[in-house]
Amino acid sequence: MQNSSPPKGKGMQKVMAALEGYLYLLPTLIILGVFVFYPIISSFNMSLTRVAPFGNQTRYVGLENYQRLFTEIMEGGDYWNSLKVSFLFTLGTVPTGIALAVGLAIALSYPLKRLSWFHRLLIFIPIVISSAVTGVLFRFLYNPAVGYLNHWLTFVGIEEGPNWLASKDWALIAVSIAVVWRQLGFNVIIALAGVQNIDGTYYEAAKVDGANMWHRIRHITLPLLTPTLFFLLIINVINSLQTFGEINILTDGGPGQATTNLVYAIFVDGFIGTPLRGFASAQAYLLALIIVVVSIIQFRGLGRRVNY
Amino acid sequence: MSSIIDDETQVTAPSEKMSRNDWILQIFLITIGLIIALPIIIAIFTSLKSVTDINANPYNILPREWTLDNYRTAWNATPFGRYLLNSAIQSGIIVICQVLFSILAAFAFSFLKFPGRDLMFYVILGSLMVPFQLTFIPNFILVSELPKNCIELFGESAEFCNSVGANSYFGLTVPFLASAFGVFLLRQFFMALPKELYDSAQIDGASNFRFLWQIVVPLSGGAISALGIFAFLGAWSQYLWPLIITNDQSMRTVQIGIRFFLFDQERGADWGSLMAGAVIVMLPTLIIFLVAQRQLVKGIAMTGLKG
Repeated sequence: MQNSSPPKGKGMQKVMAALEGYLYLLPTLIILGVFVFYPIISSFNMSLTRVAPFGNQTRYVGLENYQRLFTEIMEGGDYWNSLKVSFLFTLGTVPTGIALAVGLAIALSYPLKRLSWFHRLLIFIPIVISSAVTGVLFRFLYNPAVGYLNHWLTFVGIEEGPNWLASKDWALIAVSIAVVWRQLGFNVIIALAGVQNIDGTYYEAAKVDGANMWHRIRHITLPLLTPTLFFLLIINVINSLQTFGEINILTDGGPGQATTNLVYAIFVDGFIGTPLRGFASAQAYLLALIIVVVSIIQFRGLGRRVNY
Repeated sequence: MSSIIDDETQVTAPSEKMSRNDWILQIFLITIGLIIALPIIIAIFTSLKSVTDINANPYNILPREWTLDNYRTAWNATPFGRYLLNSAIQSGIIVICQVLFSILAAFAFSFLKFPGRDLMFYVILGSLMVPFQLTFIPNFILVSELPKNCIELFGESAEFCNSVGANSYFGLTVPFLASAFGVFLLRQFFMALPKELYDSAQIDGASNFRFLWQIVVPLSGGAISALGIFAFLGAWSQYLWPLIITNDQSMRTVQIGIRFFLFDQERGADWGSLMAGAVIVMLPTLIIFLVAQRQLVKGIAMTGLKG
């Protein structure tokens, strides 16, 4: 800005206006500064340290923690395991959740004369259930003695259902089902908004051309829904990378490390037993990097809402 | 209005009678809806069964005889009253501060002009990109060491230093007192208000602050209460932060309380009282959902965020 001799009163006014503006921002800036922005730096610094085995001396160790993570990836160690768990979990939950949501959104978009408020009520309801309660509810459903799930499986001829939470092969699937359930309400709401945004005249035109329902879904709804699908994809990938509560309550990361994802590994290394805060911070930094890259793709994608 | 599943009968006969497709869809949606709501329905009915009923007929969803015994057991076995109080205070503080601070910041972004304003807006929006996983370890250390640093600063006699660290309401809430999402949401709303309001208030000589509280806030009731609801749902459901920042039972929130109750109860496999506990924890949010479903759904659909 030019400072070329404004009248004294006017310059003063300008300064006061700026001060007033920042005064309104002050509470938000302080909280975000201390608890969001400052930790970006302090967490990196911490990732370069280690607490010496004897005494509480924190030592600077350079990139040692990152080297250890790299070695674990190369040798198939713990970090490799949590990367794999996070990847499989994302792969299992995200497409399932989106497909279910889009299907339900299409069904809900049909203007029924009766009860449509009731359908929505039942289908949206998981949005207000916390991850802790989700964990508790599904722990009951999965219980080998009194749980409903294996009982229902007997109706379809599966006499001996899996031991959901105690089996290495099933635990991650069990957690995935619970998380898909909790996320479903949110996903359906977003998908439904997308479906309802589609101009009805497209369907009229298709009907005149004799397209049946499946053709209309395949050639009108889904292509016009791509921006919504893309948005859902990004949000769900980020959410799935951040899943913690259900794992803590359903499996505690086990059995073995079958459900220890990236977040859970940070929690275990940073807070359980002898805390390895430097090592946990290095993992947090890498996870944040993955999430930020995904979010950048999202922000770029939001800019161009192209339909195919 | 046309839609995907429309068929000829629907278009040509808009009568009160439901068509065959309507019936199929009704049955389909009710079935799916019940399956989705089933974990909640089962929890509610199980919590109202007697212990003998649960063990004798575990797979009858409806209770044989209805009883509130499980609620009594749960309430007496663990301090649920205290957990509820803690959660109410924690969520209350977060909601009030997020709403208040968001109003202030959104007002500056939408009505005031000052150097660096747009930059500050992008800085605040940028905070949405920083995942909680990156910040929670440094924040945990910062908050845990706050009492020690406070005493060093103000001396042993400073009593308030005991209520700022871990196991305090301050520690439970302080990282979440501001919300970039809230600032963004309210700014969108304030920007849509007519600029003439501001100009005429200026001519009348009203200060910015008075204009905000007497004109802007009363006109924005819908947006502000939507933010309040989102802030409450987010705060009430928090898990990771309250789990690490409290280790004193008397400071646990309901979400952490139900976790520890689960691991206590399961040894006795008392699922009745456990489900009663789960119902106690989800009841406030379920009520909000039933009361404000429309507003909630609209807010999510518009912003694409859960707060």
